[in-house]
Amino acid sequence: MDKLSYNLYTPKPTHTEMSTTKQSTVKALDSLPVVIGFLIAVLVFTMFVVGYDQGQLFSVVEGQSAFDTMWIHEFTHDMRHSAGFPCH
Amino acid sequence: MKALTLVGITLTSGVIAGIILAFLNLGIVEPTIDKAIALEVQKQVSSGENVNMSELIDYRYWQKAGAFAGGAIYGAGLAALFGVIFVFTRNKLPGKNNKQKAIFLAGIMWFVLFLMVALKYPANPPAVGDPETIYYRETLYVGYIMISGLAALGMAVIWIKTRINSKKIIIPLMYAAIMVTAYAVMPSNPDKIEISMDLIQTFRVLTATTIGVFWGILGIIFGSLWDKFLSREQALEAKLY
Repeated sequence: MDKLSYNLYTPKPTHTEMSTTKQSTVKALDSLPVVIGFLIAVLVFTMFVVGYDQGQLFSVVEGQSAFDTMWIHEFTHDMRHSAGFPCH
Repeated sequence: MKALTLVGITLTSGVIAGIILAFLNLGIVEPTIDKAIALEVQKQVSSGENVNMSELIDYRYWQKAGAFAGGAIYGAGLAALFGVIFVFTRNKLPGKNNKQKAIFLAGIMWFVLFLMVALKYPANPPAVGDPETIYYRETLYVGYIMISGLAALGMAVIWIKTRINSKKIIIPLMYAAIMVTAYAVMPSNPDKIEISMDLIQTFRVLTATTIGVFWGILGIIFGSLWDKFLSREQALEAKLY
């Protein structure tokens, strides 16, 4: 994880400023796993929307009829084909 | 704050690249999709089904608009993955600046996540695909992406962690061996193709091209934004410490 924070925070501390930098590194360690988790969640959700939804998301609100209308599937239909996802 | 900058440049670059992809598709890929849909309609009509052409035309306009929303969502999602991998690998990527590094990574990701997968499960236009097999085909497709992606990730870790001789030859060979095995072992797409192969091959070449351009644009925008925002923040921090 140190490597990860180092990758984003390249400035190197001098010995006298070590305590300030330590605080900053702790900040980085706290926030970066959250950011990585958020981005992975974005990946999973967006790929489901564009590539896989067959009515599942709208069924939460619409119930069984969402599987017939497949609103999201139909709306993203052309991008789904163009991006290589299975369709129909 | 820096974490937010990372999220910001990641999603912004993805959405912009995705919308550009939708524009490209509108001019390059959509004519092929329209032809395939015309074949579908022709089949419905000849089987005695009543098709309202005026409704269909409006519906197609709606779907073409939806492709832009789909492009933005697709772009944001792949950029999210791209951002995570870039953070972990930036110091090891070849290139004189972040833009070059990002373009290199984008090329690798297009190869691993699209091209390698397309060799086994290529893109198909409408008029190909049985609704009854959709979940099976989705499982195969995700499975193959996972195999290719995880194999590439494993190779990247080996590349970084080990100091073996000739790794430039050995590691690509290891990836190739995994993918050849996966190609042989994974089941084929079960759906029969009943329309012209010319149309399908044209569609496949065009989509591979526009998705390749998408990845290139994503790399250029992401790398440029990284240089503009994160490098500036780092320089500022260096002055503060």
